[in-house]
Amino acid sequence: MRNYLALVPKYLAAHKKRTDLAIISVALSVALVTAIFSMLDVFLRFEKIQVIHDYGNYHLLIKDASAQEMQAIASRIDVEEAGRWIELGQASINGVRCAVGALDENLADNLNIKVIAGKYPAAKNEIMLEQWAVESHRLNVKINDTVRISSPGHVGREFKVSGIYNDLANMKAKAVPGVLMSLDGAAAIKPGAELSYIVLFKRGVKILNAEKEIKDTLKIADERIQRNERLLAVIGQSKHKAAVEIYTTGAILFLIVLIAGVMMIYNTFNISVMERVRQFGLLRCIGASRSQIRKLVEREGLAITLRAIPIGVIAGVIVTFILSAILKFYNSSLFASMPLFVISVSGIGAGIATGFLTVSIASFLPARKAAMVSPINAVTGSGDIKISRSKKRGLLTKVFRVEIAMGINNAVMKKKTLFLMSCSIAISIILFLGFQVFVDFMHAGMKTTKPYTPDISLTSEQGISEGLYKRLSDIDGVKKAYGRRFAYVEAAFDAARLTEAYKKQVGNIEVKDNGIFVPPENSWLISYDRNQLNWAKRDLIDGTLDEDKLNARNGIIAVMTNVRKGVTINTVNLQLGDKVYIKTPAGTRELTVMGRLRSVPFRDSKPNLSTFIITEKLFTELAGESPYQIIDIQLKKRNQEQTVKEIKGMLDSSITLHDARQKNAELDQAFLTMAVFVYGFVAVIALISILNIINTMNTSVASKTRYLGVMRAVGMSGAQMDKMVLAEAATYSLTGCLAGCVLGVMLQRALIADLLSSFRIVWRFPLAQIILIWILTLLVTALSVISPLKRIKAKGISEVIGSL
Amino acid sequence: MEILRVESLSKTYGEGETRVVALRDVSFSISKGEFVLVVGPSGSGKTTLLNLIGALDTPTFGRVFIDGRDIFTMKEEELSVFRRRNIGFVFQAYNLVPELNVEENIVLPLLLDYKKPDRQYIDELLDLLGLSDRKHHLPNQLSGGQQQRVAIGRALASRPAIILADEPTGNLDSKNSREIVNLMKLSVEKYKQTLIMITHNPNFAALADRIFNVEDGIVTELGGKGK
Repeated sequence: MRNYLALVPKYLAAHKKRTDLAIISVALSVALVTAIFSMLDVFLRFEKIQVIHDYGNYHLLIKDASAQEMQAIASRIDVEEAGRWIELGQASINGVRCAVGALDENLADNLNIKVIAGKYPAAKNEIMLEQWAVESHRLNVKINDTVRISSPGHVGREFKVSGIYNDLANMKAKAVPGVLMSLDGAAAIKPGAELSYIVLFKRGVKILNAEKEIKDTLKIADERIQRNERLLAVIGQSKHKAAVEIYTTGAILFLIVLIAGVMMIYNTFNISVMERVRQFGLLRCIGASRSQIRKLVEREGLAITLRAIPIGVIAGVIVTFILSAILKFYNSSLFASMPLFVISVSGIGAGIATGFLTVSIASFLPARKAAMVSPINAVTGSGDIKISRSKKRGLLTKVFRVEIAMGINNAVMKKKTLFLMSCSIAISIILFLGFQVFVDFMHAGMKTTKPYTPDISLTSEQGISEGLYKRLSDIDGVKKAYGRRFAYVEAAFDAARLTEAYKKQVGNIEVKDNGIFVPPENSWLISYDRNQLNWAKRDLIDGTLDEDKLNARNGIIAVMTNVRKGVTINTVNLQLGDKVYIKTPAGTRELTVMGRLRSVPFRDSKPNLSTFIITEKLFTELAGESPYQIIDIQLKKRNQEQTVKEIKGMLDSSITLHDARQKNAELDQAFLTMAVFVYGFVAVIALISILNIINTMNTSVASKTRYLGVMRAVGMSGAQMDKMVLAEAATYSLTGCLAGCVLGVMLQRALIADLLSSFRIVWRFPLAQIILIWILTLLVTALSVISPLKRIKAKGISEVIGSL
Repeated sequence: MEILRVESLSKTYGEGETRVVALRDVSFSISKGEFVLVVGPSGSGKTTLLNLIGALDTPTFGRVFIDGRDIFTMKEEELSVFRRRNIGFVFQAYNLVPELNVEENIVLPLLLDYKKPDRQYIDELLDLLGLSDRKHHLPNQLSGGQQQRVAIGRALASRPAIILADEPTGNLDSKNSREIVNLMKLSVEKYKQTLIMITHNPNFAALADRIFNVEDGIVTELGGKGK
């Protein structure tokens, strides 16, 4: 030994078990931070690919751009790619309704348009069609065929099909073929059509600043600029309310992850120092100064950290790796550009930084405490632990048997240890409950396939006959077919229930003396059968969806979101119990709002005042007998193409077939991308929390080896010892559990109520989660003390007592 | 009347080159009420002997009978109960439970046995040990001598047949040492118990009924006032 600090490695080697526990503790918290931050990093990269796929790879869209503006923007140094887009809107191609647009070829890739066959339209008279449309029975064209496109108010023109491009899920589901033509062609078909300029900035550009610069220099009004908010959100550049809410929620949760890391390490170090007071006193006796003791403890922390950090970082990287592997496995084509083994520099950096930082914080306080140890403590036998002077107790022994009373007493007497142990457990629970918010957000915020999502929808203006409905239901490959009727009705209610956003869109609204407005637009009234009402339960904000109750009390269900011009807004703010007056041929009918839904799984192309759901019985009373307007079909898994062909064969030209399968699959995919990470976060937190509890309990029991030996010498039996240790451990867990659940629920509530309000997520008391937490914590606690107790019992009592 | 019989007791630690023989074929018998002193140099095997008698450790070979029962044939649970009813320990390092006060430490073996402490007896004990006015103090508020008296109280609480003391005065000054030993002798006489005590203090020899010397794991009887 050249230096007194050489004591550190000797000590660590001599107390292998204790050292290992400390290393595990640090490694766990490093793994937690590394995993969570790497996952976040990788998640954003995956999500960026997903968003680009779903919404396009561009940042800004400038409406009605002039040639001079385009010139100025294109010549900016920070612009990566820019091009023109003209939306010509509805038109018809060979008599079939279609949507026509024109796009500069250099932007095709950014908007996920890929030419499958032929070439991109360049000449004035060339167009390109989606693949499904080319193959559809109503259109049926080939490359180089001539088609006739006519838009309302303009003369029809002949075009040549120059190419075929990939299916766009939304167009396919809407059964409206997308037609792309050259810019020149668009100018010819509809001169003076509104031209948008699409801009993609280079990497690292501060987009909002660039946008402001463009606006200021070119004097472009705010409403002429549209942002690709989702893409801006995933690259952290959005100032949109929803994005900011998510950033804040995330920041709070990630802060708690850091705090959790510190707590876990601090707790272990504190236990380790507390149990060695006598050793430090001894060192002080033989001449160690306070600062030397402090250095010893700090050096010990450093030695442990250096060994723990690589383990933690590797564990964190592996978790991230598993998640990327899952995603790549499910969608190898979309995520082809993502490497399988992603090394997140920021995640690893965060892990290492927290490791070092927390160990220095976590060992600083115990080190100071160790330095304060008076040499006397080494020579006087007991007095290892400072105990608060308390009055005569005895109440516990009256309620519990002695060993349990002692266990509880042991935990309660050492306030600091109790606090740290409980905190360490509580913070894990808080994290778990906090991250659940993302699960709620994901379920509410992302439309995904639900039990009622159809694969194929048939629509017809004239209505679909009962007979066809029956024949469709009987097709072998059809799992389920369900019809829906709807009508447009004049619905009126208290004018105060209209939102400002709606009033702004429609302008002046006439209000009668009784406070009821005169409807400026129709509302969409949809009939639901019992099944559909049942399915809608997932989206119920409040109220009831019980068919009998709705029938009995003239109930109506208000849908809180409405899609207007492709944008989701809240047009009404109806509350339960509000009266809605609907005009029917037989006079005005009064209905009561008995339920509120977040959304419905379909949208209307026409702008409506609001959407209402009603039972089939009430629908018939209001709108009279009518055929189905929509039949939704769910297909069996096998031979879908064959079934679709069969269905097509039954339809006449008045019925449109909407194939939503690709769209559903893409929505599922988008959901999966997020779900893998959100559940990944929750799983990692749960796993690390469990390991942390096991490790802490292990440390706590290990530090009591000698004490337990004395108890056995005095006559405590093995079973009594088990109960005592378990009682102590349970005291820690229950206190931690209680604190964790209370604070966690409060956090969850605050996050949902204050931060995620715009997603209309309703906070409910997480009873199932709480029960799960209690069961899990108690189970883990019991399991975690078993092995250290076994180890102690396996040793002879004399060996244990003599260990100090 | 015989209370303790030791038959060919042997204990070895380790194996091969690190093998250490702590006790070699030890046999003796002790009658009820005797005060036995165990002396010998450090590392001779005194503590091993005491630990084996108290069943804190298991022998490599041999048997120990307390009150006619072979203690090493008992199962762990049975042994715990037997130990807390029949054997009292006094350690050199006191080993009190720091969270419990004086009185609680003393009655602990009774509580572990789910017995209601006999108030009169406990008060008598506290009185005898001179701890009556300190019964609500915690161990760290006591002096070394006082702590050891609490440990003696704990050993006596369940009125065990045998008290095993491993250098109970090792941490104390001569005045306190004498007091402690006198106290122990007084109490074993009063309650008709057997005391086996390890000590390095030659002054106590005069008080003992028998003296055993342990050297290199071999026990020999040196005599004493009983002989």
